[in-house]
Amino acid sequence: MKRTLPYLALVVFVGVLGLSWITHGTGVVKNDPKRHISIPAQLTVPLQVQSAYNGTDVYFRYRWPSPNAGIHHDVLRFTKGAWVVQGSAVPGSQPDGLHEDRVAMMVDDGSVPEFGRYGGYVAIGNKLAGFTDEASGREVREHPYLGKKLGLDEPTKYLPATRTNLKDWTAVAPEAEQQRLLAAGYFLDLWHWRAHRSNPVGLADDQYVAAGRLSDSGRGAYTTNWDGAKKQPRLMFDPAKVGRTTLKWDDLAKGKIGQGDVYYLREDQAIAFDAAATWQEGDTIPRRILRAAQGSRADIGVSGQARWADGFWQVTLRRKMDTGKPTEDKIFRDGGVYQVAFAIHRQATGGRWHYVSLPFTLGLGREAEIQAAKFEGEAPDWRQAAVNVTLFYPGQVNWPHLNSARHAGASNIKRGVPVRYRHSEEQLAHYGIEAEFTDAIRGQWLLTMLAGIALIVAFGVGLNLPLKRKQGH
Amino acid sequence: MAAYHVVLVHFPIALWMTAGLAIVFRAISEGPVAKAVDRALVPFLAIGFVSGIAAYAVGLLVWPWESLSSSPLGRNHMLLATWTLAYWGLILVTRWMQGEAVWNGFMRWVMAGLAILGNVLLGITGTLGGHLIGIHTEVSQALRVLGWEVYTTFYVPDTTLIAICVASVVLLAAGLLGARRAA
Repeated sequence: MKRTLPYLALVVFVGVLGLSWITHGTGVVKNDPKRHISIPAQLTVPLQVQSAYNGTDVYFRYRWPSPNAGIHHDVLRFTKGAWVVQGSAVPGSQPDGLHEDRVAMMVDDGSVPEFGRYGGYVAIGNKLAGFTDEASGREVREHPYLGKKLGLDEPTKYLPATRTNLKDWTAVAPEAEQQRLLAAGYFLDLWHWRAHRSNPVGLADDQYVAAGRLSDSGRGAYTTNWDGAKKQPRLMFDPAKVGRTTLKWDDLAKGKIGQGDVYYLREDQAIAFDAAATWQEGDTIPRRILRAAQGSRADIGVSGQARWADGFWQVTLRRKMDTGKPTEDKIFRDGGVYQVAFAIHRQATGGRWHYVSLPFTLGLGREAEIQAAKFEGEAPDWRQAAVNVTLFYPGQVNWPHLNSARHAGASNIKRGVPVRYRHSEEQLAHYGIEAEFTDAIRGQWLLTMLAGIALIVAFGVGLNLPLKRKQGH
Repeated sequence: MAAYHVVLVHFPIALWMTAGLAIVFRAISEGPVAKAVDRALVPFLAIGFVSGIAAYAVGLLVWPWESLSSSPLGRNHMLLATWTLAYWGLILVTRWMQGEAVWNGFMRWVMAGLAILGNVLLGITGTLGGHLIGIHTEVSQALRVLGWEVYTTFYVPDTTLIAICVASVVLLAAGLLGARRAA
């Protein structure tokens, strides 16, 4: 018996090591809607980008994989004798598929130097929407500047210098300082194409990020179709133009309404809602009314048709290089170098459940990671090779965290070391997920470390004490 | 302190790697050279252990605890460094306590296995340290293939923790039982 004990100890030791290897990394990371946690199965997604300009207009062409054409957004559905809103945002994918696909791009001209080094991370402030510790919409609406002056109704992206305290989203710098920063170009231009809320009218939304995520002056391409007072839609399809007054829920749920159908409610194809009509269970009307955008907000148009085919979206956007609005848009000039970062939403996700890129340089006739091709005439021929961008799920990592003692690279940020120097997209995706479970993982890691020490010590006892006696014989 | 840590870790790495080779060499050879190398083993392992403690202690000063324990790579590096130190301590104690008897019978192959595993732990610890200073080997790629993404923290679930605790108790009991029966 005593001769076999050391070998038994060896078997137990190796067996437990094997068990640890097989089960590691489980038991902590899981979806938790109450904490706004939903982790996508795929952590990175490729995006191809091309750019071109002709001295008047600048073009961007994006191509990315998406399992299906996410062209629907929230709807108003006749259910049990009443109209109800269906498709509100949830953590992760909307279960009914009622969230549109999107592509977004942030642009800077060097006026926000941190953006060129850290990309969109600089705009992720304290307690943003979708984070576990998000500030409430009421808090934002009641904020004297963000809510009452700027009209924000949720905690959105903002740039660091617009706050006097990095860790406090409410600590907004005085209005005069905000204007001074804007005049100096301290904002990020935000191009935002939406498969439901902008594509059917041939536009992408034109916004910018400064003290918050703000819209350019003018009128947006969509508004609500929900009459909250009457609890009913405002408009319905014009049967004379569309051939029906509503969609059918079953058709929508079964994917029978596609890009070739009128899946959107456009103002010029709609009439006033008829409350007296006989509505049937499952009658469905889009919650968004699409209309012609106006002013600076209408600057970005879709070039050609943005379509989903064979598992990929291909979207081309066009804008005047100089829109005449230098405090809302970044002005592109021949010979200029700019910084850009991209994001997509797919699989019915909204909010922070997107895939984002690290920053890239864009050159118009200058050396850069993305070279915009100069062309003559009305439309580019897109002969230049596309740049492959890796998009990643960013999890819950914000700028205050990255500049805190919890981030070992905070000193590198102070020194201006770019994010790419130390991190890859894959690494950032994993870090982003771990950030959502920091305390739980830290606790489990400490226990694992202690258990490993205990196992090694016990193995030493189990191996050596019987052998020592054996040697003594 | 990062630079001092990098300098200091060279000592245990060199000593443990050499000790590992010596153990494997002794396990397969009864020749005079192998026996001569074996006589230097305990001093080698002892100096390796002491220099390992020094490198570990300085390593703890590179980042504040809050930073180290919040970084997946930082956590992994510390976890593997802790286990590597404890594990080579076990090899030192085993060779010290058993003397030349560890080369008798099947036990010599156990020693060779322990030495190889010790160098695997050492290699992983070094690779993770390399990640932290921006220079790393393809060992991490091999670990990915084997099922561990090194950008995620290595931890085990509660059930495995319980299994480790039970196993530890069994090992302690086996050791004490073996000692008592032999007495």
